[in-house]
Amino acid sequence: MEKPDYAQGFWNPYLAGIALGVVLLLTFYLMGTGLGASGAVARTSAVIAHEIAPSTVESNGYYKEFYKPSAKHPFVNWMVVEVAGVFLGGLIAVITARRFRPGVSRGPTASVGLRLGLAFVGGAIGGVGTRFAMGCTSGQALSGGATMAVGSWVFMMAVFGTAFMAAYFVRREWS
Amino acid sequence: MSGPLYIQGYLSYGTSLWIALGVGLLFGFVLERAGFGDSRNLTNIFYFRDMRVLKVMFSALVTAMFGMVALSWLGLFDYATLVEVSLLNTYLWPQLVGGILFGLGFVVGGYCPGTSVVGMVSGKLDAVVFLLGMVAGIWVFAAGFSLWGNFYMSSDLGKLTLWQAFGLHKEIAAAAIAVMALIAFGLTGLAEKWAPYDK
Repeated sequence: MEKPDYAQGFWNPYLAGIALGVVLLLTFYLMGTGLGASGAVARTSAVIAHEIAPSTVESNGYYKEFYKPSAKHPFVNWMVVEVAGVFLGGLIAVITARRFRPGVSRGPTASVGLRLGLAFVGGAIGGVGTRFAMGCTSGQALSGGATMAVGSWVFMMAVFGTAFMAAYFVRREWS
Repeated sequence: MSGPLYIQGYLSYGTSLWIALGVGLLFGFVLERAGFGDSRNLTNIFYFRDMRVLKVMFSALVTAMFGMVALSWLGLFDYATLVEVSLLNTYLWPQLVGGILFGLGFVVGGYCPGTSVVGMVSGKLDAVVFLLGMVAGIWVFAAGFSLWGNFYMSSDLGKLTLWQAFGLHKEIAAAAIAVMALIAFGLTGLAEKWAPYDK
């Protein structure tokens, strides 16, 4: 069977990977650290919670590191700006490829309700995972992996090992 | 000038934020061009239909890993600064548990944090819902921090690389990782043949 439409029109994956590797190398050369993503989501969750209950957030054992006295706003942060760049760069790529397609990506037999419910649940579980691991596929697996950090490789193996095993149980979502 | 520039004091904080915007922009662009704005392209690897996640990720990892080693040979990159100053610390058990939770969240939710941003700008409602789920999940993590805060900081092995742990030269470890990646690339062709899209 031919590749479905959603899998067509992209760069060769090896060339895309090399391009991504060059961007990552440039980041390491300039900054000494790599790319990331989940740290910006953690800060966003802190800022939203702070709008609702400022004193609770400022005294929370985890969030207080974002609200130290005399510290700048949690969004004045390298990774938050980098993820804003991801947003813009992704948008430019989508527009120039004419690939903006509103919808819900799901397997051929999955309902919209099932998919969106599982997207939320998966996001929540993954979000907790990023905090224990102090990073995600970008910051730990890819960037930490390229520096050969032990914890990053432990994380990467755990991510893919678990996902391959769990895939059987959510096959109705994707197949 | 020999990198890494920022942590050696060559660049101001303001400049680093402009770099963040620039490299983030390139990162987002390449993720979209790799096909990572659609959750099906990200999860099909777990059914062996489309191994692009592995191909992109490992070729990127190997490129950056060898790039840093090569730049250090040329005297353009101080590898010792990377290892001693900016390497991510290893927290063995929290990172293992975090990886298990993250892997579960990845296949159930269909995205990871960076790709969900690209999915959102591609118009994917499931990516927006995944992002909202992550925000809510981190609220739960913060709310229960008094229960698992000690575990979160436990088994701290400090800055530790694979080649230090195995007592190898970094070049040997990098070559071993590259060989593993090449074997994995070879196996992806078999996997995709074994599990076509309509199976």
